[in-house]
Amino acid sequence: MTLKGRHWAAVWLLAFLAVAWIVIARQTSAIRGARELAALREEHANLAGHGADLERRIRAATSRAVLLRRARGRLGLRLPADTEIILLPVPGGEPR
Amino acid sequence: MAKLPVRLQVIEAAMLLGLIALVGRAAQVQLIQGGRWSTEARVQRTEHIVLAARRGTLSDRHGKPLALTQETYHVGVAPNELRDPEGDPEVLARQLHLSPADIRLALRKRYAYFAGPFTTLQVRPLRGLRGVHLEPVVNRFYPQPDLAQGVIGRVGDDGHGATGLERALDSVLTGQPGSAVVLKDRDGREYVSPARVIKEPVSGADVVLTLDAELQEIAQRALDDAVERTKADGGDVVMLDPSTGEVLAIASRRRDGAVRPSAFIDTFEPGSIAKIFAVAALLTDDLVQPTERVSGEGGRYRLGRRTIVDEEPLPSLTIADAIRVSSNIAIVKFAARLTPEVQYTTLRDFGFGTPTGIEFPAEAAGRLRLPAEWTRPSAASLAMGYEFAVTPIQVAVAYGALANDGLLLQPALIRQVKGPTGRLAYRHRPEPVRRVVTPTVAAALRDLLRGVVESGTGTGAALANYPVAAKTGTARRVVRGRYAPGQYTASFVALFPADRPQIVLVVKIDDPRTGSYFAAQAAAPVTRSMLEQALAAREVALDRARLSTAAPLPRAPGVEDDGGVVPLVVPWPYHPDTVTGHPFRTVPEVAGQSMREAVRALHRGGFRVALKGWGVARRTAPAAGDSATAGSVVTLFAGPAP
Repeated sequence: MTLKGRHWAAVWLLAFLAVAWIVIARQTSAIRGARELAALREEHANLAGHGADLERRIRAATSRAVLLRRARGRLGLRLPADTEIILLPVPGGEPR
Repeated sequence: MAKLPVRLQVIEAAMLLGLIALVGRAAQVQLIQGGRWSTEARVQRTEHIVLAARRGTLSDRHGKPLALTQETYHVGVAPNELRDPEGDPEVLARQLHLSPADIRLALRKRYAYFAGPFTTLQVRPLRGLRGVHLEPVVNRFYPQPDLAQGVIGRVGDDGHGATGLERALDSVLTGQPGSAVVLKDRDGREYVSPARVIKEPVSGADVVLTLDAELQEIAQRALDDAVERTKADGGDVVMLDPSTGEVLAIASRRRDGAVRPSAFIDTFEPGSIAKIFAVAALLTDDLVQPTERVSGEGGRYRLGRRTIVDEEPLPSLTIADAIRVSSNIAIVKFAARLTPEVQYTTLRDFGFGTPTGIEFPAEAAGRLRLPAEWTRPSAASLAMGYEFAVTPIQVAVAYGALANDGLLLQPALIRQVKGPTGRLAYRHRPEPVRRVVTPTVAAALRDLLRGVVESGTGTGAALANYPVAAKTGTARRVVRGRYAPGQYTASFVALFPADRPQIVLVVKIDDPRTGSYFAAQAAAPVTRSMLEQALAAREVALDRARLSTAAPLPRAPGVEDDGGVVPLVVPWPYHPDTVTGHPFRTVPEVAGQSMREAVRALHRGGFRVALKGWGVARRTAPAAGDSATAGSVVTLFAGPAP
């Protein structure tokens, strides 16, 4: 069977639609990927910022300025004198 | 009226002409002007953006971050794009910590810009607001901003290091920015589309410093307390590992709150802490015997037109007494046996009058005049620690040589540099500068310093279980080139423990005004407090495996006689601070190298070196490739070049 003119036109139209669909699908997928990437970057930045804030607060809370005062005030602890510090020798360990 | 075919022909001709014109114009646009329009379109639709490189992290020797890079934001607002012109400004004001009135005033403009930098947590609620545009910028973040601030320094507005190590290491920490192309709409707004990366950014290298964050905090707090307690002008503390030259802590404090790395840049006349260097010269040249005595002159000794005074005179003194009680008269009498050249050379060898070479962007050389420039009393003054000026870091390095069996090491602030991929780019190894005194003389000097703490001027720094060697120094203070009346510098240098010291500790208090200005009272207790805190701390850079063997075994306290003292609880199994590792190392091949290179290679291998001959390295004993214990002596045989 030989294809008539309108059949060729239909084939070309279908081919064009297929190519256009592929292009649009790829673009849509890329844009979706870009949005996900942007959202992940945003989340990463948020988490990094949150982590930095926690790090700052942990460092502030565990600093000697804060910790020693609280240990003294709340628990009645104090820094030991050297006579109160016992270092156990490592069994079989060679000093450096 | 024309016939229909004629009219059709006219219409066809017109359409043909129009088509030809259209094709012609298309050809003109596409073929002739194509390049220009293409460029213009690209400029309109795309934008080149710079991808900022992460600046390297600075961390302490245990990996605790001291300076990090964090993404922050500038905030731009287009008021006409806001969905809720009443509510959104309230959110902006709350998140940016600005007053609502200021926000509303700024939003009267066509485009309001708030240069933060604002943190990610601050801008998080703003991300969903239409009309709010966030401009990311990388910013430096210091988790503990006041920790070693003067040493670490700060980054300037241009993103480059402005002061301190941030400046000295700028080329290492700064990465290489990348670039990318993004698509824009006709209003210049960026499309949500994947950026085309032209060049990936390369992060800066991460630098591990020699500083120990916990020791640094101990030093800073102790110094703050001392300056407050004595109402002093300021002060400095330096802690140094004498076996490697690594600076463990360095704190400086001014009364006015200024953050200045004065331990590197401010000089002072050291006073009695320099007496030990005169003794080093005397012992090296065998000019004094341990039993030899000089008269104490009743505490006042006339030398030319000058009267030298001892605060607590003894009838007669040995060289050990001269150091123990810090006698000016005795040291001047003993030092008179030295020639000016020897006295000068000794001080110079200990590193005075020249920068130490530490990796800090600014360092004072101090002042040490040539013997030709001395006046008649100069020799006596130098023996007592006057007429020359030093920095606290120089003092730490010089005492470090005494602790390190006479070998002067270059001090270091950088322990490791790791490239962006984590590859180790640099690791600090001890850099010997010169041998200043023999190990025997160094041991003798340490013994003299031990006497200072046991029964001399430094008893305030004594610990019950651990021997400390130290020297006090109380010197008149020079202000604007003159001795300021009634002003003193109290300084104290300690080696801890006295046997095989692990820390050299320098404390300097400038012009203490409350209580005694003598170092024995102003500076020695500060040292003791810092050492006790260092011993009690969990992670400081002390080799407790070595300390535990140095400490006497504690008496087992009974339940009833513990006096309420709770001993330190040590977890078991106990993890020592030092991983002992394999005690043997391979002797490197050095044959054919110059003596300097060969000695360096052997030092790098962890060996001590004994030289035989001169010239080019021939062989070693043990031979290259053999195993020998780290720290053992390798004999290097050298001979004339073939």
